[in-house]
Amino acid sequence: MTASDIALNRTVPRSGRAARRWAGHLFTLAFLGAWEAASLVAPSYLLPDPGQVAVRLWSFVTSERDLGHLGASLFHVGAAIAISFVIGTLLAFIPYYVPVLRFAIERRIGPFLNAFSAIGWTLLAITWFGVTPLTVIFTISAVLIPFALVNMSAGLASIDRELVEMAESFTRLRARMLVLVIVPSLYPFIFATLRIMFGVAWKVTLTAELFGGNSGLGYMINLARQEFDTATIFAAIILIIAFVHGVDQFVLAPLQANVSRQYAG
Amino acid sequence: MRAEQPSLSSVAAERLIGEGLVVLALVAWWASARELPEFILPGPIAVARRLAELFVTPDFLWNLYASTWRVLVSIALALLIGGGLAFLAHDVPWLETVVDQRIKPVLNSFPSIGWAILAAIWFEPGDFSVIFVEVAILIPFCLINIAEGLRNADADLMEMGWSFTRSRARMLWRLRLPLLVPYGLSATRIAYGIAWKIALVAELLGAPSGLGYLMLRAQTAADSTTFLATCFAIVLIFMAGERLVIVPIERRFAQR
Repeated sequence: MTASDIALNRTVPRSGRAARRWAGHLFTLAFLGAWEAASLVAPSYLLPDPGQVAVRLWSFVTSERDLGHLGASLFHVGAAIAISFVIGTLLAFIPYYVPVLRFAIERRIGPFLNAFSAIGWTLLAITWFGVTPLTVIFTISAVLIPFALVNMSAGLASIDRELVEMAESFTRLRARMLVLVIVPSLYPFIFATLRIMFGVAWKVTLTAELFGGNSGLGYMINLARQEFDTATIFAAIILIIAFVHGVDQFVLAPLQANVSRQYAG
Repeated sequence: MRAEQPSLSSVAAERLIGEGLVVLALVAWWASARELPEFILPGPIAVARRLAELFVTPDFLWNLYASTWRVLVSIALALLIGGGLAFLAHDVPWLETVVDQRIKPVLNSFPSIGWAILAAIWFEPGDFSVIFVEVAILIPFCLINIAEGLRNADADLMEMGWSFTRSRARMLWRLRLPLLVPYGLSATRIAYGIAWKIALVAELLGAPSGLGYLMLRAQTAADSTTFLATCFAIVLIFMAGERLVIVPIERRFAQR
């Protein structure tokens, strides 16, 4: 019985694929049904019904003003990822080339940045820069830098020493080494880092925009909250989930898989 | 290419530069705080003094306690729920799609402030509201890690286990859970970090107590000294928890 049990477990993935897909769709339907039923009982400022949210979602993607907020959020996230990736990577490279600074970066700067809370950065940035896009970008960057630092350090630590030694026997130019050997060995880590940062960035962005922004989806959610416009809050959340998941699954994951296949031995 | 074994003097130099950098940062902070008004950047001495004061203020200690126990309860609940979902997806084949392609992506991409606002609309401000938000934010991290552990469980070892017992409970207790320990620990570590850094947002909107509430109150009152002192208090508590609880546990299980 035990052997057949195991055999059964192993064959299921092939035979039960259609059933599982159906289970997934059924779950979605059941969830929507439960939502609809709950919205019949609850007042609409507590829980708008799915139809209402769908209508709001449509008006969202056709309204220039709303799309402008989405664009602003995208800009904040993009700028912050670029800034924090560059800073985090530079911080990771410093101990690689100047080993004497390892303790300063890995034991002092890294843990401090890692332990400082996102809300701390947000409220601090508001006092310093006011309610501006700068506040939002500063906050997201500050939160993301430790992620870039930790991941890129892990990447640098995993570089094949013998490969570096071999390359050194061909050239003494550090720049050439960097471009031809070190950066290509880091490609898988670069994509993994960007993917993690993208996920975390969206978790922080809305918070930063809600408290310290004058544009973006977080700002929009805050306005909607003050007007008890719960349908807009739901529409914005659904849009973000769809966008984040879509980009992660259909852009970043294939890119990462591609790069890993090519560069990771 | 580099010296494999770092010499004693280079270790000392590293240390010296590291601590020197901290001193330098403090001096730079002190110098720039002298030029700026106190509500924008209070000096390091004022903040340090306030930090010391905070740790003997009953009000602060009460808020600290409130935040800490919420974080701990949330991590425990998130591990239970996330782990439960991971087990469901792994053991009940037809639920795999439901968990992996419906529940996980939604929870994983759900913005944290979204939960905070929904909880503020749905529930009375208080412990329940905060814990709800923190658990919702932490579940995907626990789910992903524990699912990874279940996937990586050694198939041969499991097969051997089945040849010794037919009891599912016994298998779970003797083999599957012990194999999951490292993944559970890494889930705990990640959840701990996220809870202090990101999930505190729950206390900005839905709580009449806690460190997040304290920070917002100080910031609204333009009391930057208290605000910064609270930020540093969180840094200290976070590091203390990591050094005193998480690292020893990890070391203990790594030795086995």
